[in-house]
Order: sequence, then structure tokens, then C-alpha cells
Amino acid sequence: MAKIIVVTSGKGGVGKTTSAAAIATGLALRGNKTVVIDFDVGLRNLDLIMGCERRVVYDLINVIQGEAGLNQALIRDKRTENLHILPASQTRDKEALTPEGVEKVLETLSQEYDFIVCDSPAGIEHGAQLAMYFADEAIVVTNPEVSSVRDSDRILGLLASKTRRAERSEPPVKEHLLITRYDPSRVTSGDMLTLEDVREILAINLVGLIPESEAVLRASNQGVPVVHDMDSDAGKAYADTVSRLLGEEVPLRFHEYQKKGLLSRMFGGGRR
Amino acid sequence: MSLNMDRVASAFTFKGGMLPMTVMELTSADPEQIRAQLAGKVSQSPAFFQHTPVVLSVEQLDEPHLALERICAVCRAHKLLPVAVRGGTDPVKQSAWALGLGWFPPQEARPRAVEEAPLAAAEPQPEAEASPAPAVGRIYRGTVRSGQQVTAPEGDLVVVGAVNPGAEVLAAGSVHVYGPLRGRALGGIHGDRQAGIFCKELHAELLSLAGNYKRLEDIDPRLLNQPVQVQLRDDQLNISSLG
Repeated sequence: MAKIIVVTSGKGGVGKTTSAAAIATGLALRGNKTVVIDFDVGLRNLDLIMGCERRVVYDLINVIQGEAGLNQALIRDKRTENLHILPASQTRDKEALTPEGVEKVLETLSQEYDFIVCDSPAGIEHGAQLAMYFADEAIVVTNPEVSSVRDSDRILGLLASKTRRAERSEPPVKEHLLITRYDPSRVTSGDMLTLEDVREILAINLVGLIPESEAVLRASNQGVPVVHDMDSDAGKAYADTVSRLLGEEVPLRFHEYQKKGLLSRMFGGGRR
Repeated sequence: MSLNMDRVASAFTFKGGMLPMTVMELTSADPEQIRAQLAGKVSQSPAFFQHTPVVLSVEQLDEPHLALERICAVCRAHKLLPVAVRGGTDPVKQSAWALGLGWFPPQEARPRAVEEAPLAAAEPQPEAEASPAPAVGRIYRGTVRSGQQVTAPEGDLVVVGAVNPGAEVLAAGSVHVYGPLRGRALGGIHGDRQAGIFCKELHAELLSLAGNYKRLEDIDPRLLNQPVQVQLRDDQLNISSLG
């Protein structure tokens, strides 16, 4: 049986899809059979981030409506073994996403994969609730910024009440906090909430901290999940996150402001 | 499958609401007299007469029978939309219903409504009687998150954990928060003036006791981050440090 992980946040633009892509890739690189599903019907992005937009034929909604088989819709990742992508529909009405249909797809995938990563749309409506409904674990992506923290708080409330586990009174969805776009220098100057501020309000286990990094934008535009870029801070931080998801203890890094020395100022260039 | 998706599963939800409503207090039952006065008003403030919903109050009238249909017709002719009638005898009630209008009992006789919306309690209600809170309360363990509401409809509410921004905790009696209070806390929601609010760390967005409230902006900044108690004194919220 696969473990179903939803990547969610409430607020848009905090890095859900980037994180879902990086984490799914990271899990596959560690030898786990992984599928990542885009739930953002109408605003499909995951295929771009994963670099497979030219190979999309069928999508999740085609499968749900019986117009295509699951194996026809699944796209095999070219770079990473064990990794498949199930894209969202860009044209269909998002109401076509039915709980029964999603349940059936997840059940079938569960037989074959170790991890199912669900990339949730922003908001707390239909699509977002459906993406989280069947989850065993949730990664709540949060920026160190007040509105993002409040929206994540709202999502945590929904995870505790509007999921299958909650409705069946099963053990609750395991919640993980992933802080993205963390900029230690701006935290030091007081522009950003500190790691402790965010943790104090959300009060859940921290699974990772991704520093603000130019590598993320570059990775998105090239369609290569940033976890492949192991020279970058963000790539390393996502790899750490995957290790923690798999139950390993990894010390936190990139959360402290490093004053640049003379040499790195002369030769270091920008942030990696 | 019991996934709750409002759009698919249910056609509507009922919500309590407090809408501003114009009450037209009738002192004459003569439709012609009403017409004459309305005509004058329309010329003074035409903007008001845009299918404005009104409640016809007939409490001041002593007549057992009213030409309700004609009065309504006069109102509609002047772009007022009668939606309900308040007060009057049983025949008045029956004819209101026959005309498709709602009927409200006369104001004096109306039992004090239990506030449905917490903010309704924000209106100062000096006449509110102190009702002793029953002993049954509620204990909530864990974080009350943004968008969540935890209520103790009777007695005190005890929260062992934090109340986050955007969350709301309400109690008929007192509210106790063993953690940071960052959201809204409303005690004495049925008018209990003895109720208090107690918390380990004050950052509340709103504090309210028996309908009297203070916003974060009105709170002395020196009291923030402190353990405090809040009590009602002379219709004013009094916040004092417990530290």
C-alpha cells in the first residue's frame, strides 16, 4: 500500500508545485516507486516543473471519466527511474473531479507505488479539499510571512476535520511543516518572520526549510526539479526534507545568516 | 463517500444573519394619508426609494383590522418593498401571511433573542440581565486554528493550547486559555456580566464580555504578551495583568 502525501498550503505562490516536484523526485531517487499527481485542474503547472509538458496526452480527468486508462495517462519521468507524473486537465471543468473517481485512481495506484504525492491547488475549495481528503500525511508549505502562516493554519484545521481519516476517526493525518523561501538575512533584519515565529503559531513538526534560492527559478524554467541540482542550497535542503520524510534524523541547515567573507564577496558571486 | 462539498452535495446552507432593515412605524392606518406622506418623502430623498425592503410596524395602531393590502400597494407604488409586518392582532397576522409577508411579534412582548452571531453581542445591551452560568462547561485540548470556532453554549470554556489569529472561542460563561490568545475571545455571550476572560499570553484580535468589546488596537500595548484577566466594570472591559 502506498503512502499518500498531500502538498498543500492554502495560499498560492508559496511553492507547492515546486516542493511536490522536488519531493516526489527525491523519493524516487532514493529508490521508492513514486507517482506525483497534479490536482490543479485548469491551472496545470506540475508538468512544466517536471519538464514533461510536451508528453501530456491524457490527464487525471480523462482517467476519472473513463476516457483513458491509468497507464495511458501516466508519464514516465525521463531523468528519474521509479517516477511517474499524472497531469491535471488544463481545459476541463474542475467539477469533473469527483471523490469517487479520485478514490478509485488512488486505490489503483496504491497497489503499485510506494508513494503518491498529491500537488494541491491553492485555496480551500473543492480541488484542495479533494487533494487532501485521502491523505495519510500532509506537507504544509509555508512562507515566513503572516498571511501565508494564517492560511496554513486554516489548512491545518481542515486537515484535522475534512479528511477521510478524520471522518472515520482513524489516526489523524500526519502533518509536516515545510518552510520555503526562507531568507536568513531578511529574517535577521526583521523583514521576515523567524523560523521560531512560524513554528510557534503552527505548532507542528518541521520537516524542512528551503532557503530562498536562484536555483529554484532556474529549475522551474528548465523543467528540472531543483533536487537534481545538488550544488544548490535549495537542492540540498529538499534532499534533507526527503530524508526526514523517510524517518531519518538530519540536522537543520541554511537557517542561519552567514556573513559573507571577503573572498566569497570577491569571487562568490550571487546566491546559489 | 461523505466528503463534504457544498456545491455538489447540498443546495444551500442556513445562516443566521443580522441585516439592516428599515422599520416603517405606522401611526395612521389610512392608505391615502400614507400615500400623501410618502409622496413628499420621495421628492426629498429619491435615493432611498430603490425597492428598499421595509418592515411595517403596526404596534402603534389600535385597529383590529387593517387595509394591509392597500397599504402595501401604496408602498410598492413608491418603490418600498414591504417584507414583513410587526405587531397587530391575529387577523392582521393572518392577512400578512395571506399577502406573502412575514410576521414578527410586537417588540415589547418579544422574548430576548439569544444572539446567534457572536458579533451581535457587540451591540451594547445595558438592559441585559445577568443570567447565572450553569456549571456545565467545555474543555478543549489543542490548538484552535484560523477559521475554527470553539463554543461552550453553557458554562465556561477552557482551552488548553493556543487560540490562533482568525480563530474564535466563545462561552456563555468565562473563557480560559492556557496558552497564547491570538484570535477572538467572547465571554458571557448570553449576557452574563460576571463572565471573564483569562489567558496566559494576550495578543487577542478581539475581547468581548456580555456584548462589550475591545479590539487589539484598543488594548494597552503594555498588557500584550502578558498573562491577563479581563472583566466587565461599568460597561467597560477592564484588563489587568496576572503576572
